[in-house]
Amino acid sequence: MIKRSELLKNLKVQMFYLDPVLVTQLAFPTLMLTLFLIAPIATVLLVSLNYNPADIFTDPTYVNFNPRGSPITIRLITFRGREFILIKISGVSLGIIMNSLVNSFIVTICASILGIVVAFVMARYSFPGRTILRVLAMTPLLVTPFINAFVIRKIFDWRDGIISWIIGDVLHLPYRIGIEDLAGVAITQIMTFFPIIYLNVYSSMINIDPSMEEQAENLGAKGLKLFRTVTLPLSLPGLAAGAAIVFIFSLEDVAAPIVFNEKRFMSYHILERFLEATTGQLSPVAATLSLILLILALAAFIGIKKYVTLKQYAMLSRGGRWSPRIRRLRLKGLIVVYLFILPLLLFAAFPQIGVFIYALAENWADPLPYGFTLEHMAKIVEDPLVFRAIVNSLTYSILAIILIVAIGVSSSYVIARARIPATDLLDILVTSPIALPGLVIAVGYFYFFTSIFRGTPLDPITFGPALLLSLAYSVRRLPFTARAVYAGLQQVHIALEEASLNLGASRLKTLVSIVIPLIGINILSGALISFVYCMSETSVGITLGGLKGVGEEHQAPISFIMMDYLERVGGPHIVASLGVLLISIQLLVIVLVNVVFKQKYAYIGV
Amino acid sequence: MTRVTLKEVSKKFGKVVAVDKASIEVDHGEFFTLLGPSGCGKTTTLRIIAGFEIPDEGRVIFDEEDVTFKKPYERGCAMVFQNYALWPHMTVYDNVAYGLKIRKVPKEEIKKRVKEVLDLVGLTGLENRYPLQLSGGQQQRVALARALVIEPKVLLLDEPLSNLDAKLRLRMREEIRKIQRDLNITTIYVTHDQEEAMSISDRVAIMRRGRIVQVGRPSEIYMNPRNLFVATFIGRSTALRGSIEYIQGRRVKMRVNEKLTITGKLAEDYELSVGDKAIAIMHPEDFTLKVEGESNIIEGVVELTMFLGPFTQLRINVGDQNMIAYIDPEYEVKTGTRIRLAIKEEDVIIFPLIGWEEFEVETIT
Repeated sequence: MIKRSELLKNLKVQMFYLDPVLVTQLAFPTLMLTLFLIAPIATVLLVSLNYNPADIFTDPTYVNFNPRGSPITIRLITFRGREFILIKISGVSLGIIMNSLVNSFIVTICASILGIVVAFVMARYSFPGRTILRVLAMTPLLVTPFINAFVIRKIFDWRDGIISWIIGDVLHLPYRIGIEDLAGVAITQIMTFFPIIYLNVYSSMINIDPSMEEQAENLGAKGLKLFRTVTLPLSLPGLAAGAAIVFIFSLEDVAAPIVFNEKRFMSYHILERFLEATTGQLSPVAATLSLILLILALAAFIGIKKYVTLKQYAMLSRGGRWSPRIRRLRLKGLIVVYLFILPLLLFAAFPQIGVFIYALAENWADPLPYGFTLEHMAKIVEDPLVFRAIVNSLTYSILAIILIVAIGVSSSYVIARARIPATDLLDILVTSPIALPGLVIAVGYFYFFTSIFRGTPLDPITFGPALLLSLAYSVRRLPFTARAVYAGLQQVHIALEEASLNLGASRLKTLVSIVIPLIGINILSGALISFVYCMSETSVGITLGGLKGVGEEHQAPISFIMMDYLERVGGPHIVASLGVLLISIQLLVIVLVNVVFKQKYAYIGV
Repeated sequence: MTRVTLKEVSKKFGKVVAVDKASIEVDHGEFFTLLGPSGCGKTTTLRIIAGFEIPDEGRVIFDEEDVTFKKPYERGCAMVFQNYALWPHMTVYDNVAYGLKIRKVPKEEIKKRVKEVLDLVGLTGLENRYPLQLSGGQQQRVALARALVIEPKVLLLDEPLSNLDAKLRLRMREEIRKIQRDLNITTIYVTHDQEEAMSISDRVAIMRRGRIVQVGRPSEIYMNPRNLFVATFIGRSTALRGSIEYIQGRRVKMRVNEKLTITGKLAEDYELSVGDKAIAIMHPEDFTLKVEGESNIIEGVVELTMFLGPFTQLRINVGDQNMIAYIDPEYEVKTGTRIRLAIKEEDVIIFPLIGWEEFEVETIT
């Protein structure tokens, strides 16, 4: 048994390191995250307990091992007076839960292969046009909810799609090709998400000590053997991180299923339950499906933990020469790059380019757009519903950023500096929203705040979702700022703070006059990145955001209006205009952070 | 002016014992150095005095006041950090004035005192520079000025010279010593450089594995190392191992091998009996080519010569062991020749070999 005096002394030691400022810095983030992250997610768990999981797993709507539909159908059709062989790729359905799972696996694997190939070419070879290819490869990362998927559908539509038009009307071949339904969703997600893998693997490859590969070559490995035995294994941390993120993003993606009108996914199913929830009741199926999403996401996250903590091993020795091995590409390689990689990247970047076309073209119902107009762009200010959504998103985002900075700076400081147990736990709590599907948070918020907080301003049914959206944004986008601040703190030697304390400054004075000025640029960069992703936030926005409907005084954010306008006449043009607005904000921030502040962050990654 | 007392201070980090029952007393205006190899706990001890760590056991006392649980900002001591810890977003002036601003000293007086202290450290005219625009030596002076300007009770210096080049290190060493003398501030200095410690300090505490093994004036420690560790850590030393053949009071004769015996004084606090394993510690500079008084004569074969400037270093094989000796560089020796050296009995200290891991002794040449 520990003696009482011993206990008192331990307490005295702990209290020495914990002054009021630090206690506040620890308590505030913990309280916020408990209330606005842990409690809602725990509620999802509680609600789903009411539902017998056997009901869901035996229902063929959810799990069905007899595939429905055929992956490819080929038939003869007469279309606009001509005969065509229609090749339609649509995929088979295995029930809602299995569809989500299988789709996410396929997307992750395909995106990984594409990402690795592009990363390897970019990281190891130089060739004319490399910079352009790098920009193209990053383009799909510009977030444009719904409308990029809409452009992809436009490419693969068998009636007025670009590919079928080229084959049928330009080349006059008797074929029309369409990718739709489940397959459409998969191809959209692959095109959208592969740059995440590319970026993570690329940065891993850049960080491989050149001497590692040189040593292998020195021992006789070359070409594919070298790649397989040294380069790829050393890039695994990046690949693992990227793949987990893609898996999670694919699971919770709602935009592609909505655009392809493919309801046989968990994410769409949860959304549908939400669209009925304006009455104040949310089907418990939403909770059960959320729980499954959560478990899958966490499994992916935990699965990669091993690799991500091993991050250092990609950069064993930092001594000596450190320039990544970049070689000139020979003719054979150049042909591969220009004939295969360039078209691929152009193709993947096309949706973002297509957003601009949609926004600026008079009409794009036919395979080709025609006319130029600024009318659609003007609509985002003129249409009161749309303009209000922009104002709403701005308001929520600014409010969220204030919270994010407060929580992010406090928690990162505690994690980086405080010598108390449980900082690891806080660290996990602060970074976990990266891996938590937004839909799960939305469902949790609904249950938690319509029950315990019924009638308070936090109740989205009575008062509307405004406050909850700001809070949800602040939790979901916290990791970007928290990680930037943490990175900044690691650059600030602790002696700089100790020198201040030593000269008689209190903890608060030291924080204000030494720490914050030194990490100001990190705070600002992190806040800007968080802001950008608040503005384009989708999954919470389209679920909670619509709970008060779309009236004159609506509280919906940009993403909800984008979803809502997608099916209206002329709507896609306005949605695209909003997409242009979001892309512009994102580009502005990227330039500010990278060029003006000279900060380097992986925008998406673990 | 403050007297600093540590009473049985211990500190563990997890399972690692950083400081083990360390007790020291530093007098008013004394220049006191904690000396030891890296990882011996000297910096932790200094940080305990500054208040960045609190000890698991023991007390820290300034004059009569127990400050063990006082926050760093309540202690009134000023520290110069190993990496200087100058704030990069503040000018030299703002860095130095910081402590005075905290103390709410009137603006005019801050100006006056900053100017004075910058004069003292020889940085007049650089007030508006930023730390990154200064050389290493200048940064070091700013760090010193920043600490001195608040007229601290105790000045703490954590390896302040380790980031400077050799020449600058020697000059700053003298300057620090002179300023400390002029201002008469109680100063506690941490270093792993034994020459630096010996030359700058009033008293030195030698630490090893968290413990203080010997405290004393530099010359005292050099002449009378209390144990084998101190003997080999302070100055350059060379050793020969053997067994005790004869004892007369504190005078002992040790047989090294069939042809060679060495007579020396038995180290203080130790006892030996005939037949015990022992080790004789000698300073290489104490060997001479002339025999004077009660001297040992050592004969051996020169294996290697190295010209080091003020002297030539020889590696001499005396049968089964090697030893190092310094001789006058004017005397030319070729490798492979036999040589006869003398060393006075009083310059040989003999320690028992028991209790010292063999590998540690092996590292002494």
